Amino acid sequence: MGAVPPRLRPPGQLRQGWQRLRRNRSGMLGVILITIVVVVALIGPWLAPYTPNDQSAMLGFAARGAPNWAHPFGTDRNGYDVLTRVIYGAPTALAVGLGAMLVASLIGILVGGIAGYIGGLADELLMRLTEFFLVIPVFVMILAVVRLFGIVVVGTWLERVPFLNLSTIILLLGVFGWPPIARLARAEFLRLKGMDFVEAARCIGAEPHDILFRHILPNALPSLAVVIALGIGGAILAESMISFLGFGDPKAVSWGQLLYFNYQVLKVAPWAVLAPGGAIFVTVLGFNLLADGLSDAFNPRLKQ
Amino acid sequence: MGILRYLVRRLLFSVMLILGVSAIIFFLLNAIGNPIDVLMADNPGITDEALAAVKAYYHMDASVGHRYLIWLGNVARLDFGTSITTNLPVGGMLLTFGAETLKLQIPAIVLALLLAIGFASIAAVRQYSRLDFGVMSSALLGHSLPGFLLGVLLILIFAYWLGIFPSYGAYSTRNPLLGSTVIDGLWHMVLPLTMLTVFNTATLTLLLRANLVDVLRQDFIMAARASGLPERRVVFQHALRNAIIPVLTYLGILFGLMLATAPVTESVFTWPGAGALYLAAIQSLDYPVIMAETLVVTAMLVGFTLLTDLAYVLIDPRIRLD
Repeated sequence: MGAVPPRLRPPGQLRQGWQRLRRNRSGMLGVILITIVVVVALIGPWLAPYTPNDQSAMLGFAARGAPNWAHPFGTDRNGYDVLTRVIYGAPTALAVGLGAMLVASLIGILVGGIAGYIGGLADELLMRLTEFFLVIPVFVMILAVVRLFGIVVVGTWLERVPFLNLSTIILLLGVFGWPPIARLARAEFLRLKGMDFVEAARCIGAEPHDILFRHILPNALPSLAVVIALGIGGAILAESMISFLGFGDPKAVSWGQLLYFNYQVLKVAPWAVLAPGGAIFVTVLGFNLLADGLSDAFNPRLKQ
Repeated sequence: MGILRYLVRRLLFSVMLILGVSAIIFFLLNAIGNPIDVLMADNPGITDEALAAVKAYYHMDASVGHRYLIWLGNVARLDFGTSITTNLPVGGMLLTFGAETLKLQIPAIVLALLLAIGFASIAAVRQYSRLDFGVMSSALLGHSLPGFLLGVLLILIFAYWLGIFPSYGAYSTRNPLLGSTVIDGLWHMVLPLTMLTVFNTATLTLLLRANLVDVLRQDFIMAARASGLPERRVVFQHALRNAIIPVLTYLGILFGLMLATAPVTESVFTWPGAGALYLAAIQSLDYPVIMAETLVVTAMLVGFTLLTDLAYVLIDPRIRLD
């Protein structure tokens, strides 16, 4: 093997998909929006004009100040610079989206993959389990869990864990967010296990884990990426709503929490609500558009 | 399989789902801490004897499993317990507050379906026209704008800047608009209803247009056109009927999630509904209300999923019952 010059080799599935994604206008808009958020999250400390805990505007009667040169997005009700807080909210949002979907993907692909590949009784049982998790009212349950947990940890070692509240939210969003991934993974594994190339791999004596992870999983990934991208946007939105309701992590800087703190002064300081609201919108829109583009790029037949 | 057997089987499975979910939530909340311990956390001066006495009084010294069975037995007799904060029966509270929630959510879904049928038909009939592009872009934007952000924008523009609609509540506390409580109530509904309707309409339009475009390409539509039917009848009588069937699933989910999404909506508009009740119950650690509402939220979702599946069986004879 390997004598084929690299130029003559047909582009792989990933490269083909990427090339189609690049021609997809909404998908590329999504990629651009997400890139902006990621870049802001990475270089945030150098980009932000103030430190995230700087409340000095409170001293000069400058809290709830309208946007000006010193504070491009104004200051909020607690004297924070809104631009700084919005910038520091980006890593939080990404941590929530990626963290929750990492957990959800691991569980979902494992459950769905086993169900689809083995079939039979295991399939039946696992899919019933999935249906069961699908109807758990995750959002309302997380609110209750976060509130109760916050009381119980007082005075224990858990209190000193950094970002405990946020980690709880991420974990719960992941642990209860896997059913859609599992359903799709099952369908994909079921479809792929009967394909000729899997049969061929089996014929040359490939180990089961090789078949699963090197042959089936990579081919299932494009479809799964669509659901995962949607899930990242969904998790970010869920966290911002949880924080908006006042159940977020007081130690983390989050867009939803910025909304929560400033919603009562919407009339006098709308910029302190509009800026984080815009950030949530852009991020969620970015992941939705990416999912849209991915689905068009990797399943071109769907588009006709 | 007969339809009756199918019905019974699905009904049994649905009840099992609801029971299972309620058990998970009950055990999860109790695993975090015994309700009495949690409630007494801000009362560190309480003696151990007093704590034990309180627990015994409320039967909270029993094991979690035992307490779940007690709770379940009461629920089976439609007794959801008594609220810790108001001392009222929880069932009655849920009905009162739930009615306020449904007053917003049901019209929002019905209105959205009617609007979506209109928008999607226009877009699908003039596929790839400027009109189609406009409708689809707006729908995509409306679908991506999180509902609560739209609510905030609506309040800012129509309540604060223009001063047309009230920014919070379901009724004026005094001096109802034009002296009529009915008009006053409707006036308060406008903004929250708009927020819910915009999101639902956008999503339904996207789904419906995609289905319509597919259906309009099929042979029986060509046959209908060839037989000389006016285009209006082709679209509304033949195409729409088939295009709307897959949308039923989403419609069922919308109805099923009416209470689940309420906390956010009702927090934005300070609406006195079941969502607001739930948030207040969490703040004041009102366990009976928390448990009852999570149960009802689950039952709604499971119930409407079941209804959707039954609707499919009735509408589409091609569906196999297994």
